[in-house]
Amino acid sequence: MLLFAAILFWINSSLTDSFQSLADGRQRKTAVAAMGSAPSGDDAIEAWLKRISSQNDEFDLIFLRGFPEDEGGMRAFAGTPELEELLGSYEGTRSFAKGLESSMYDEVFQPSDRLTVRGETRRVLFAPAHDGETGDIVGTALFLISSSDFDSFLTLMRGLFILALVIFTAVFAVATYSRDPVTGFIILGLFTIVAIFVAYPLFEAVRLTFVQEGRFSLEIWRSILSQKQYLNALQGSIELGVYTATASTAVGFLFAFVISRTGIRGKRFLSAIATLPVISPPFSLTLSIILLFGNNGLITRQLLQLEGFSIYGLGGLTVVQTMGMFPIAYLTMIGVLEGIDSTLEDAAMNLRATRWETFRTVTLPLSVPGLLSSWLLVFTNSLADFANPLILAGNFRVLSVESYMEVTGMNRLGHGAALSLLLLMPTLSAFLVQRYWVSRRSFVTVTGKPSARLTDLVSPGLKRVLLAAMFVIIAFLLSLYGTIIAGCFVKNWGIDYSFSLSNIREAFERGWRVLLDTLTLAGMATPIAGFLAMIAALVLTRKNFPGKRLLDMLILTPFALPGTLVGISYILAFNKAPLILVGTGAIIVINYVIRELPVGVEAGIVSLRQIDPSIEEAAADLGADVPTIFRTIVLPLVRPAFISSLSYTFVRSMTAVSAVIFLISAKWYHLTVQIYNFSECLRFGLASVLATTLIVIVLLTFGLLHVLVRKNENLAKTVSN
Amino acid sequence: MDIQSKSVTLENVSKVFKDPQSGRDVVAVDGADFTIAPGELVTLLGPSGCGKTTTLRMIAGFELPTTGRIRIDTEDITLLPPNKRDTAMVFQSYGLFPHMNVFDNVAYGLRLRKVPQKELSERVMRYLGMVGLGDLAKRPPSRLSGGQQQRVALARSLIVEPSVLLLDEPLSNLDALLREQMRVEIRRIQKSLGITAAYVTHDRVEAMSLSDRIIVMNGGKIVQIGTPHQVYRDPADAFVAGFIGKVAFFPAAVIGIDEACTVEVRGKTFALPRFSERLRGAERALVMCRPESLTLLPPGEGILDGRVTTNVYLGHSIESFVSTDMGEILVQVDNPDARRVFGEGEAVSISFIPELTKALPEAEA
Ligand SMILES: Nc1ncnc2c1ncn2[C@@H]1O[C@H](COP(=O)(O)OP(=O)(O)O)[C@@H](O)[C@H]1O
Ligand SMILES: [Mg+2]
Repeated sequence: MLLFAAILFWINSSLTDSFQSLADGRQRKTAVAAMGSAPSGDDAIEAWLKRISSQNDEFDLIFLRGFPEDEGGMRAFAGTPELEELLGSYEGTRSFAKGLESSMYDEVFQPSDRLTVRGETRRVLFAPAHDGETGDIVGTALFLISSSDFDSFLTLMRGLFILALVIFTAVFAVATYSRDPVTGFIILGLFTIVAIFVAYPLFEAVRLTFVQEGRFSLEIWRSILSQKQYLNALQGSIELGVYTATASTAVGFLFAFVISRTGIRGKRFLSAIATLPVISPPFSLTLSIILLFGNNGLITRQLLQLEGFSIYGLGGLTVVQTMGMFPIAYLTMIGVLEGIDSTLEDAAMNLRATRWETFRTVTLPLSVPGLLSSWLLVFTNSLADFANPLILAGNFRVLSVESYMEVTGMNRLGHGAALSLLLLMPTLSAFLVQRYWVSRRSFVTVTGKPSARLTDLVSPGLKRVLLAAMFVIIAFLLSLYGTIIAGCFVKNWGIDYSFSLSNIREAFERGWRVLLDTLTLAGMATPIAGFLAMIAALVLTRKNFPGKRLLDMLILTPFALPGTLVGISYILAFNKAPLILVGTGAIIVINYVIRELPVGVEAGIVSLRQIDPSIEEAAADLGADVPTIFRTIVLPLVRPAFISSLSYTFVRSMTAVSAVIFLISAKWYHLTVQIYNFSECLRFGLASVLATTLIVIVLLTFGLLHVLVRKNENLAKTVSN
Repeated sequence: MDIQSKSVTLENVSKVFKDPQSGRDVVAVDGADFTIAPGELVTLLGPSGCGKTTTLRMIAGFELPTTGRIRIDTEDITLLPPNKRDTAMVFQSYGLFPHMNVFDNVAYGLRLRKVPQKELSERVMRYLGMVGLGDLAKRPPSRLSGGQQQRVALARSLIVEPSVLLLDEPLSNLDALLREQMRVEIRRIQKSLGITAAYVTHDRVEAMSLSDRIIVMNGGKIVQIGTPHQVYRDPADAFVAGFIGKVAFFPAAVIGIDEACTVEVRGKTFALPRFSERLRGAERALVMCRPESLTLLPPGEGILDGRVTTNVYLGHSIESFVSTDMGEILVQVDNPDARRVFGEGEAVSISFIPELTKALPEAEA
């Protein structure tokens, strides 16, 4: 270990040295070159000094003509009063004397002294000055060289040195003391990844909100919490969240109730419809809402000729978000309702409760925890939603868009970070309530055997009303999707509804490269996230190590973070040394991986928990090392989870907006942002084409997933033998 | 076959777990110290939770001992990871690879050792034949019966020709008949291969019928190591006596100890040739009697009067259950045709044959 430290120290210091000599070399050359032809007349010297100092701001120069021992003595030309004063205080020092001496012997001398000129730290260099013609030494040039570059380099070196030391220590410790170094390195690697790409950016984001002009300050938070504009956005977000959550829960419950508690046909179809919006890409519903109800919308303008109606704002947003998010509520509620043993309801009716009484006294109370958690889930999602309000908010303000505007419009990253952190508060509290209150109150009675329902819980009349409501919603949803597709083929929506393929041609002409970019980045992130998720899941379920809970938490954290916060914290953390990633494709890939990892890890953990650990132990016992076990045993066994997390990552990466919009560059663009750009310039046809393309890609991916996982169903059943 | 049997030695091995809930320390194994000779089958026997599995898992390398050393032959393997150890374990739940068929399960270890394809299939089939599964090579494990799965697990472990075979309650998931059959088979294969084996069980019949030696554990500690006969006839203490077989204890007063231990039981004096050394200086003792060390006499002639409640006729012997004021006592009457048999309901008196008993110290609190 000591040896390592010694080597590292040597590497560090020799690197520093070589930089120093490099810098020295450069400056010496400049210095010597400059001094090669020093003028001799006083005025000439003054002019010459002026020229030199105006030519560069890397250094200041004091010229010392002659030497103290000379007959005429030494005369200093300082140029400015400040330099003169500086010289006065420096003249008596030993370094100064030594500098003159070196110069006399035609040598350059560089003491370690630091002097301050115009509030800036300077290094000192003495160089001999030669007569242009004779080549005699006529005096000494005292350079005061800007050292900020050099010092920041030193700081960086020191940082890297410490980092390298930490890593080396950790690697060394694992290699020496761990019985299972491979696992040790994996854990170390995971910690490094989450430290750099989860903890560090978040820390930077939080730090920035407390800093103003390089010093600690609460100024940003004060302005965020007092200025009307920001408070409006906070209020807007919450208002929208409450409306959307309530509406979505109602719709979701309606679907879940009808599908699980009444004897209707076509349940599979209804269920498919109710989950469809989960996978619809961002902007698609917003787009069709605008096409139908916008300022030049088919319904509002062409059919109804409404004046003064605007879909932009809270109302339109609530509709769009509800359409997009009620599936979350539906999926939660169907789980809860199917978990309630329907014999309870039969028993209540047997005891002469009417249908309504049964619903009110049995079904509803049992579903309360489920209703609450779906409300909270939708609420959180609505707050974090960025795509819909970006286009549809109009003058209505929400936090996610506001923080984006602060960053991109005003270049106020601190405010943006603070706003998105504010967004985290309701999200986090909803999450905590969900985790610690709702889950504890849940009294779902899972019997495992679905009992055949004998009695409908609703009267035929009411059932018809419920069905009608459902079909209205379904029809609306389907017409929204139909509109996007129609939008692709219409020449100029709102003006000229004739059939045309020109939009498709133009969209692909202009969007082809972006599509390829998006596919490439998502395609790269997918396998990385998939493998990483399974490895992390394996380590988290099967290994014990210090800091396991911390690792678990850090891996899962990005799941709870609003995309805007992630995006902002990434540009904060990675646009400066030591990791300059902004503008590269890598930062986008990393962002995908980190954001989609939690879901994959959770899926992997659930799937691994069902696998008898002795299966892996048997493999180890027969001589398999950790990578071999992973490849030959774990991966085949968690294949369904693995494939789902692959396709999930791919789809989510293809349809990402909120974080990635901060990270794209001219070189690496994203399809969703292109959709946004098209709709901003009111080219809704082009936007529709791209949105439809995304829908097709998403559907294809899930189709493929379905086929691949099907093949595995047998396996899944035998895993927990 | 070409298995190199090796010895296994545990030197003062202990394992302390942190209880995940309470965070308190649990001493699972406390100072285990024994050697398994090459080719020997040793059983770890004890009640559930006494640390048998933990001991086995430390030998396999799945757990790291808190203190102590483990050796195979002379090589110290204490810190070696499982995949670097020359051990093979048969798991209680078998741990078969559900995504591979029987052949691939058994071939797994050989593939890791890069055995050429031809030799590999030849060896797999030979071992499958050995466990009687030659014709099921293509089946997935999910379509095998419990006994067949057990055989696959055994073949999978044996095929890598480990120097030590470890079995953790391998038969506990089988029904009684199959258990007996597999027991015989495991012993046959182990003997024919001459492989060193450690076998964990909580079933004393299994332990008695399989083992060269038995290690009896209780509460993490080893209480006795001996041949089945030794632990049965000459148990170290009352716990071992009770755990190894049916037993009745008669409280006794120690009168003197020389060659034999002279005790007084219910007013009668006996000289017991077998006794625990720990009785020296003690005043009280327990006389341990197996059912076959007890005899039935007419009322008043023995040391404890009672009444026969049930007789179970077994051919070579009769098991008589006698209810007494010390509770119900089982007496085995051997060779019933040659002696007097008391019928159900008859009053009797119980006595014992001193040579077949052992004087043990009273159980410590
Ligand atoms: N991984 C573990 N963590 C904590 N305690 C354990 C662990 N494994 C075993 N124990 C405890 O150690 C003791 C011995 O367990 P075990 O060796 O499995 O007993 P046996 O196999 O004899 O039934 C038990 O009290 C058990 O609860
Ligand atoms: Mg056990």
